[in-house]
Amino acid sequence: MSQWLEQVVERAEQANLTGPRLQALTALKQQRWPTRKTEAWRYTSVTPIEQLSLSSVQTIRANATDIDGLDSLDLVFIDGVLQQSLAALTLPAGLTIQPLSALSDEEQTAASLFGQIKPAHHIFGLVNDVLAEQGLIIDVAPGADITQPIRIINLSSQGQESHVRMVVRLGEQSRLCVIEQGEGQDPSLHTAFAEYQIGPHAHLEHYRLALHTAKAVQVGGNHFRLLENAELNSTLVAFGSDLSRLDVDIEHAGEHAHAKFNAIYLLGSGETFDLHSCIEHAVPNGTTEENARGIVGDRAKAVFNGRIHIHRHAQKTLAELNNRNLLLSRRGQINTKPELEIYADDVKCAHGATIAEIEEKALYYLLSRGISRSQALIMLNFGFIQELINQIPNGAIATWLQEKLKDKFSQMEVK
Amino acid sequence: MLKIHNLHAKVEDKTILKGLSLEIKPGEVHAIMGPNGAGKSTLGYVLSGRDGYEVIDGQVELKGKDLLELETEERAREGLFLAFQYPVEIPGVSNMEFMKESVNAMREARGEEPLSAAEFLKKAKEACKQVHLPLDFLKRGVNEGFSGGEKKRNEIMQMILLEPSLCILDESDSGLDIDALQVVADGVNSQRSPERSFIVVTHYQRLLDYIKPDFVHILADGKIVKSGDASLALEVEKEGYAWLGGKAQEADA
Repeated sequence: MSQWLEQVVERAEQANLTGPRLQALTALKQQRWPTRKTEAWRYTSVTPIEQLSLSSVQTIRANATDIDGLDSLDLVFIDGVLQQSLAALTLPAGLTIQPLSALSDEEQTAASLFGQIKPAHHIFGLVNDVLAEQGLIIDVAPGADITQPIRIINLSSQGQESHVRMVVRLGEQSRLCVIEQGEGQDPSLHTAFAEYQIGPHAHLEHYRLALHTAKAVQVGGNHFRLLENAELNSTLVAFGSDLSRLDVDIEHAGEHAHAKFNAIYLLGSGETFDLHSCIEHAVPNGTTEENARGIVGDRAKAVFNGRIHIHRHAQKTLAELNNRNLLLSRRGQINTKPELEIYADDVKCAHGATIAEIEEKALYYLLSRGISRSQALIMLNFGFIQELINQIPNGAIATWLQEKLKDKFSQMEVK
Repeated sequence: MLKIHNLHAKVEDKTILKGLSLEIKPGEVHAIMGPNGAGKSTLGYVLSGRDGYEVIDGQVELKGKDLLELETEERAREGLFLAFQYPVEIPGVSNMEFMKESVNAMREARGEEPLSAAEFLKKAKEACKQVHLPLDFLKRGVNEGFSGGEKKRNEIMQMILLEPSLCILDESDSGLDIDALQVVADGVNSQRSPERSFIVVTHYQRLLDYIKPDFVHILADGKIVKSGDASLALEVEKEGYAWLGGKAQEADA
C-alpha cells in the first residue's frame, strides 16, 4: 500500500465510520494502489497524487467562471466547504436539497447513500466514500418539473485537498438539469463523485464541466442508474491537468431507458485527461449513444476507455459508442480502447475509435477559398467538436462553452 | 488574364497533363470538353494548387504573375476560383462562418476592411436567394447533407460572394436536373463582365446552351487537340468523343 493511501486509511479510521462508509473503508484496505500494471490505470500515472505537497495556506481564489445568460441556482464549494446556507434558499416546489453533513451515519444508511450506484472498484471513489465530509443530497419529487438548472461549483485553491459527494434522486416523471463545474489550477487535490438515480419516465439533463487545469489534480466520477423509460442527456467537457481522471458509469436498470452521453476534451501542452466510461445494459430494450471527441496538443495525453456491457437478458439493446481524436502534434499521445462485451444475441451495437490528423480534402477546400492555412486548421479542428457543442440542449451553456473552448483552442499550437 | 504554356503535371507517378497550352483574355468564356480521364479535373486542381498535383514542366501566368510560385490560398486571393465537381462536406463548420472567413481573407488581401457580421449577413442572404437556396443553408455545416444540386449551387453562391477574376467551373452541370442547371447558369451569367473570365469544364454540350462560350477546346490525353467556337460543342454532341482516339494519336505523332 502506498504511503498516501495509508494516510487516507488512517484518517478514515479516526472518523468512526459506520454503515456503507465503513464497508467502503474495508473495501479500500483491500485495494491495491494503482500502478502501470493495473488495467484501469495502465496509461495514466497516479504519481502526481503522491507527489502533491499540500499545505494549508489558505488563498481564496477568484469566483467561478460565470455562464452568461444562464439563470441557475448556484451552490458553491470552496475546497470542499459549502459557502452558503441551504436553509436560506428558496427552492421551487418539489425540490429538496440537503447537506450531507446534516445527516447522521444512520440516516445516510437509511437513505441508501454512498456506493449504492457507484461501483466499488473505483479506488478513488472509495477514497471519496471514506473522506467526504461535505456534499449534497438532491431530491426531486415525482412529477416535479424543475426548470431552473442547479449548478454545483467546486473550486480548488492552492495546497488544499477536498472530497465532495453528491446524491441526486429524480422521482417518477420528474425533470431536472444539473451542472457540475470544477475549477482550479494551483497544486491541489479534488475528488468529486456523484450518484444519480433517474426514476421511471424521469428526465435528467446533466453537465460535467471538469475545468481543473495545470497543477490541480482532480479525480471523480458520475454514476447514473436509469429506471424504466428514464432519459439521460449528459455532456462532459474536460481540460487536462497534471492528472485529471473521470469514471462515468451508466446503468440501464429499467427497460426502455435512453442514455445520451457526449464528451469533449481539449488538452493543451503537457496535460493529461483520462476518461473511463462503462455502460451496463442489464435489461432489454435500452438505448445508448456515446460520443467522445478530443483534441490533443503538444506532449499532452488522452486516455479513453469505453466499455459497453450487454448482459445476457438485455435483448433489443441499441448501443453506439464512438471516440474520435485529433492529434495536433507528433509528441501528443492518445490511448483509446472501446470494449464490447455482448452476451445477448438480438442487439445492435456499434463502436469505433479513430485518431486522425486533418483531412487533406477539407483543408484544400478551405485554402482554395483564400483562407490561410493556420485559420483553416483552427476551423477544421474546432468543427470537429463543434458538432457536439451543437447538440447541447441548453443554449446559454452551448454559447458559453463555444467561446471557452475556442479560447482554449486558440492557445494550442499545431505542430 | 491567364496564360498556360506547355503544362505537364502528374499525380503520384502518373502524368496526366502532357503539354497543355491555353490563353484566356479578360471577359472571355472558354469551354473545355473532353472524355473521362482526359485531365479536365486535373487542370482545375493544378491551377488551384492542390497538394499531390505536381507540375513537371511548363508555365502558368495569372494577370502577369507566376501562378505556380503561389500557395493555394494566395492563388485564391489573386482572384482564382475553382467551383468543385465534388464539393467537400465539413460538418461542424457553418457555411456562414466558412464564407465570412473566406470573403474577409480576400478583402484583407486587397487591403480592404473586413465586413462586419451584419454587413456580411446581408450580402450572404442576397447571394443565397440568387441561387435559390433557403436561408437556413447559411447556418448548416458546409455542404453537410446537401443534395448534389444544392452543393453545386452553394459553389456558385461562393463565386458570387468572392468576386474572383478567373472562375473555373469543374463539371458544375453534372448531376443536375434542368431547373438546377438553369439556376447555376443564371448565377454564372450574372457574374459575366469584361474583367472576369471563365473556364467551363464539362463533359456534355448541354450546359453550353445556357452559358454561351466564346471558345470551345477539346481536351484529350492531357492536351488540347482541337479548338473552335461554340459550334465545336455541337459537333461533339453529335459525334461523341470516339473520333478523338485517332486524332489524339495524330497530335502525339
